[in-house]
Amino acid sequence: MELVLLPLYFGLVAFIVSPKFGRYFILAASLTSLGAGLARLFSYQPDTYQTLFSLSKANALGFSMEIGYDGLSLVMVGLSNLVFFLVALANLSKEESRSSLFNGLFLLMQFGLNGLFLAQDGLLFYVFWELALIPIFLILYWFGANDSQKTWFKFFLYTLFGSLGMLFSLIALTQFGFVSFAYGHLLQVVIPAQYACWIMSGFLLAFAIKIPIFPFHSWQANTYDAAPMAGTMLLSAIMLKMALFGLIKWMIPLNPGGLSFWQLPIIFLGVVGILYGALIATRENNIKKVFAFASLSHLGLIVAGIMIFTQESLTASVVQMLNHSLIAIGLFLAANRLEVGFGSKELSTMGGIAKLAPTFGVWFGIITLIALSVPLTAGFLGEFLLIKSVFQFNLWLGVLSSLTLVLGAVYMLRSYQMSMMGAPAIGTFEDLPVNEIIVYFIITALTLFIGLFPEFLIQIIKPSIEQIILHTQNPALTIR
Amino acid sequence: MNVSTLLYLLLSLPLVGAAFNVFIGKRLSKNIAGGFSTMMIGLCFVLALMLFNQIDGAQKIKAFNLLTLSNFSLDVQFLLDSLSLWMTLIITGIGTLIHLFSMGYMATDEGYSKFFVYLNLFIFAMLLLVLGSNYFVLFFGWEGVGICSFLLIGFHYSDAEKGIANSLAARKAFVMNRIGDVGLLFACFMLLTTFHSLEFDQIATAVDSHSGFTFSNLTLLGITLCLFLAATGKSAQIPLFTWLPDAMAGPTPVSALIHAATMVTAGIYMVTRSNFLFELAPIAKDVMLYIGIATSLAAAFMALRQNDIKKVLAYSTVSQLGLMVVALGLGAYTVAIFHVTTHAFFKALLFLGSGSVIHGMHHEQDIRKMGGLRKAMPITHATFLMGTLAITGFPLLSGFYSKDEIIGHLFEANIGLYGVIMFSVLMTAVYMFRLYFLTFHGRFRGTEAQWSHVHESPLNMTIPLVILSVLSLVGGILNLPGIFFHKGSHWLSTYLNKSYGLHKIHGHEASPNLTLALMIVASLVCLGTLGWAYQQYVKKGNVAKDDQDLSGWERLSARKLFWDEFYHRIWVLPTQCVGTFLNQKLEKRVFLAGVFGVAQWSKKGGEIMGRLQNGKLSSYLMWMVFGLTMLVLVFIIKATFWN
Repeated sequence: MELVLLPLYFGLVAFIVSPKFGRYFILAASLTSLGAGLARLFSYQPDTYQTLFSLSKANALGFSMEIGYDGLSLVMVGLSNLVFFLVALANLSKEESRSSLFNGLFLLMQFGLNGLFLAQDGLLFYVFWELALIPIFLILYWFGANDSQKTWFKFFLYTLFGSLGMLFSLIALTQFGFVSFAYGHLLQVVIPAQYACWIMSGFLLAFAIKIPIFPFHSWQANTYDAAPMAGTMLLSAIMLKMALFGLIKWMIPLNPGGLSFWQLPIIFLGVVGILYGALIATRENNIKKVFAFASLSHLGLIVAGIMIFTQESLTASVVQMLNHSLIAIGLFLAANRLEVGFGSKELSTMGGIAKLAPTFGVWFGIITLIALSVPLTAGFLGEFLLIKSVFQFNLWLGVLSSLTLVLGAVYMLRSYQMSMMGAPAIGTFEDLPVNEIIVYFIITALTLFIGLFPEFLIQIIKPSIEQIILHTQNPALTIR
Repeated sequence: MNVSTLLYLLLSLPLVGAAFNVFIGKRLSKNIAGGFSTMMIGLCFVLALMLFNQIDGAQKIKAFNLLTLSNFSLDVQFLLDSLSLWMTLIITGIGTLIHLFSMGYMATDEGYSKFFVYLNLFIFAMLLLVLGSNYFVLFFGWEGVGICSFLLIGFHYSDAEKGIANSLAARKAFVMNRIGDVGLLFACFMLLTTFHSLEFDQIATAVDSHSGFTFSNLTLLGITLCLFLAATGKSAQIPLFTWLPDAMAGPTPVSALIHAATMVTAGIYMVTRSNFLFELAPIAKDVMLYIGIATSLAAAFMALRQNDIKKVLAYSTVSQLGLMVVALGLGAYTVAIFHVTTHAFFKALLFLGSGSVIHGMHHEQDIRKMGGLRKAMPITHATFLMGTLAITGFPLLSGFYSKDEIIGHLFEANIGLYGVIMFSVLMTAVYMFRLYFLTFHGRFRGTEAQWSHVHESPLNMTIPLVILSVLSLVGGILNLPGIFFHKGSHWLSTYLNKSYGLHKIHGHEASPNLTLALMIVASLVCLGTLGWAYQQYVKKGNVAKDDQDLSGWERLSARKLFWDEFYHRIWVLPTQCVGTFLNQKLEKRVFLAGVFGVAQWSKKGGEIMGRLQNGKLSSYLMWMVFGLTMLVLVFIIKATFWN
């Protein structure tokens, strides 16, 4: 239970901790949560389910409040804790970390996310889904760029609108042989064929907007652009993983019937997203937006992989999700340093930083390579397996999705080259502080570790994925 | 030491060298930092020799299992057999010499230790490439060398004048190689779906026995064409060759090591390794044959009117790689590797020689400003001459034998194509002798100041030159044709034939009389051109024309047949246009303006925004968070204490 409650308690305390120590407080708090998560991870017996909390009897609404974890949920909580720790660390030297309000919201968001990953009850999942949204909205609203209220508003309404779809679908589920919202019970709900497609659409709307899947992405680039650094990191590194996780754990097994209708269109949209994001990223001048569109491109591939839902593609999707989180933190950290150093986000005004700040040049270079999914990193494995899955699903979609390798090289190297290479375009540039070096180091070490020893991760998530696939083949089988 | 210890040492020493230079190289004197890296590669060469001695046949060494999924598993596994060991010897041997040369060449560079980090990493990746026992490990190395190549081409990226150009060249190389990599990726997918394995030996056995696997010729054709696409990227063949001339932006030792001797031959190695697949796909072999011939011709033509000493050599490399691909297309895999070997000797020599010239001339690369350098740089001159003679096929030098064997096979297969390739050989002799005479003979055409600075290079640069020139001289004995001694002939082919699949392939080897006749023709071509070039450039004293004086065909040659411009029109511009259209029009006008109901919201949004700005809505939201949080808390507390 500490996985959920620690961030909550710490978060409530953070509101009253003096702003002077606040940033160290949340660093320690997120480190503690990370430690707790790791302890669970290392003591986890593969293919087991662990209940953390449950009402002995579902209440009148069918609300069971069950919280627990299998391998997949545990890995996601671990990721969430890791991301929050890294963001807190990266954010140490930033202005926002001196506000108690920010620090409290930061940890409340972690509470929401951890709860979401551990929720084994549909209604609870929904509650946490909304709960995680509000702190990030407030962070954006209070700490983001001043002239961007319209952007926040659009982001908020858009995602709220999506959530509504999920709520309707959840309520709709109660109409068909419903016992309670507990995961096991929900899976037994038999949805008549004529409704399957509609119920799936509701979930899909929520997830498609949050991920985002092309063409629901319009909130993304501007939001990332105007958000404070920590906000952008949280949005791309962990917020949208909620939705990817939701696709795998909730949408697919809850409603395999609806899949046959939506599978091809979503995979197709995923591939369109890969190309669309990549093509825009090759021409965009604002570095934060370049990375936002790069993210859209990477996510398109993950979504396609999830919707193919074979053991291979789901495994690869999870690997790539972790990888994407780490890359996103690294890239937006670098973008922030450039933005602060130049006072501008325009690539065309930059240049020659590698000479002025060699340490930064090296680490940004390494992150660029990791984002290019070079061999030995997790991304290589993830992209290899994902493109292979798409290729086996459909030859031409496979060919199209493989263009991400080429276009990815173009936009990543372009942004590195325009900012770092050539003659310096500015007099002085502050090199990396220690906390940022540590962040880069952790990212590099982890992507290499996953890239070289993926079995460690795969052994943990394999049973969960197998169960989900078995359930889609035979809905009578329950998970666990 | 046992084999696996040797192997792991071999793979880790370059990494040790790199780590040494990352962490303490900068604080030490340059000779120690560079010397340590050089020593590591030298040790690798010794280890490679020991392995070469110990291994007979093939040995697989499994490091660990990377991942196991339901229908296939990937291992990090290494294969030691004649082919991989031979490549290892070339890489570490030439690598050591080039490391040594770099210590002199880079002596005044501020990125000295960084340079050795990259070089050592490159050797590591290249070893991974040739030692892997499956396509996956090969892929690791394949991309790894691409990254090192990228880093080294753009090594001088902060140069005020050429920094941007250098980094653009690096980017171009990486992106074009990535296109090739997609080919390798798809080959891997098809191999995995067909054979459930990426191990060379397992696929070879499966292809041979047809047991348990069903595959059509179409699948094999797809696999082999994808593999060849990858090879055209790495080995700079049409259509993906245009990056290699630009890659000359890198420091000259890099051009020698990566863009002449080792990395660019990775494609040749990979196809040779996959011989069992190509043998079953005759169409793919024909494609290789014709692409090889076209590349060899086109690149030789382009080299005719280049004035940058390194560019001439770059096009020459493309042309020679084309010859190797011709050999592959004819099924003469071991002959291709033989040419890889001799080419590594003489092309590394030529590049290092040009490096020595550039070093002596203080970074002047234009041969129009050179001339008469033989007096000032006697060792460089003598060794460069040796390299020139070797590449042009001067009788009894290394290039003579390896080139002749390819030509002999081609003659047997198709006389018409023989004529075409002889034309390419002729052009090779023309541009190489032009380069040689314009650089080392005649009068000096640079400035007074330049002449007063011209100097012979230090020992650590000339020693590698001398060693390589000896190798270029005698390299042919590795694979002598049967006409001289029957015993001991074709040693290299016999040795390489121990590798998978190769022993079963018998190319069309020319008869002794025919071999002799072809050799005489080739020698005449070389000697005739030598005489002609001497007349033109020494007796008549012709010099290279300036750009505006070029005639029609000369301009075509100098401008690379406008190949870059062509690609710019058909690929780069359209992609940029689409990207700009999506970004400026579709994204901003359609998605941001909002077709999904956002337009209507924005009106109402205005009203609610008003309230937002009063801080009311945000405080509502704040209370919402607290409310929801409390609700959850109450549930938890209630459930914990009242149940």
